[in-house]
Amino acid sequence: MNNDQWHLEDKTFDSRLMIGSALYPSPKIMEESIRASGAGIVTVALRRQASGEGGENPFWELIKELNITILPNTAGCHTAKEAITTAMMAREVFETNWIKLEVIGNQYNLQPDPFALVEATKVLIDEGFRVLPYMTDDLVLAQRLADLGCTTLMPWGSPIGSGRGLMNPYNLKTIRKQFPNLNLIVDAGIGKPSDAIEAMELGFDGILLNSAVALAQEPVMMAEAFKYALKAGRLSYRAGRMQERDMASPSTPTVGTPFWHQFA
Amino acid sequence: MTLSVNGELTTFETDRLTVEELLKEMNFGKGVAVALNETFVMKSKYNETNINEGDRVDVLSPVQGG
Repeated sequence: MNNDQWHLEDKTFDSRLMIGSALYPSPKIMEESIRASGAGIVTVALRRQASGEGGENPFWELIKELNITILPNTAGCHTAKEAITTAMMAREVFETNWIKLEVIGNQYNLQPDPFALVEATKVLIDEGFRVLPYMTDDLVLAQRLADLGCTTLMPWGSPIGSGRGLMNPYNLKTIRKQFPNLNLIVDAGIGKPSDAIEAMELGFDGILLNSAVALAQEPVMMAEAFKYALKAGRLSYRAGRMQERDMASPSTPTVGTPFWHQFA
Repeated sequence: MTLSVNGELTTFETDRLTVEELLKEMNFGKGVAVALNETFVMKSKYNETNINEGDRVDVLSPVQGG
């Protein structure tokens, strides 16, 4: 049962959870939540720095102390060019060639732009990046990204920060079936641990979430809840569920049923 | 000359400035990455990359992300 390490890109993890570092009530709660979640990967971003600040960046120092894998994102980019430039800046600052590639196509639901995503993926793979694309749950888009060399795909469950869970399990299931050898991660939309279990039971390899923990009433406790949910969902998938039936079927043996049925 | 640094118009007395000089002049912190006119500038090129009048410079550093 314990022999279920997760091989993602060029690394191996015990946990299948990837967690964001944003929106926590405090840096301390962020740190405790990330540790409690057991996640082996944390997402981070880049933003303009105020001049005159000099010295070290306290957020970055805190993240480095966690000693887990860093996954920078390109959040907020709206064109392939912006995303490519941001990815290159992230590679230098975070010293990793992993990038959560995010190109937003619509401001209302923060839906990724599939066309710009493909364009940026092509350039970044040529530049030596390991691209983990945040994408819609579109089968043909998945094919295009896989054709470019992506070995990990991250379709949304529902819009970022909405906590609506899996909007379209059919699409996710179809991508899983069509790409049995790719690492598939539900990224965005997870609202509660049972959403994560549902995704893992569909055969997804991992979950990337942020708001579900950071905006919980008790983030650290919720982080722990997700740790167990991912394990439960993964074990459930590997164990294989029973066949669903329309009719009841008694679980207690019927042979040897005593006297109260003899006159029925 | 006047530049846009992180979206704000900033005036310098000199007419020529390298990326390295600008970072020092404005006291940016450690662990930053730079883009000049939306194009990434590698750290190893800071001392040979000149910034000209009207250029747009972005200096980014790590923040929380999802």
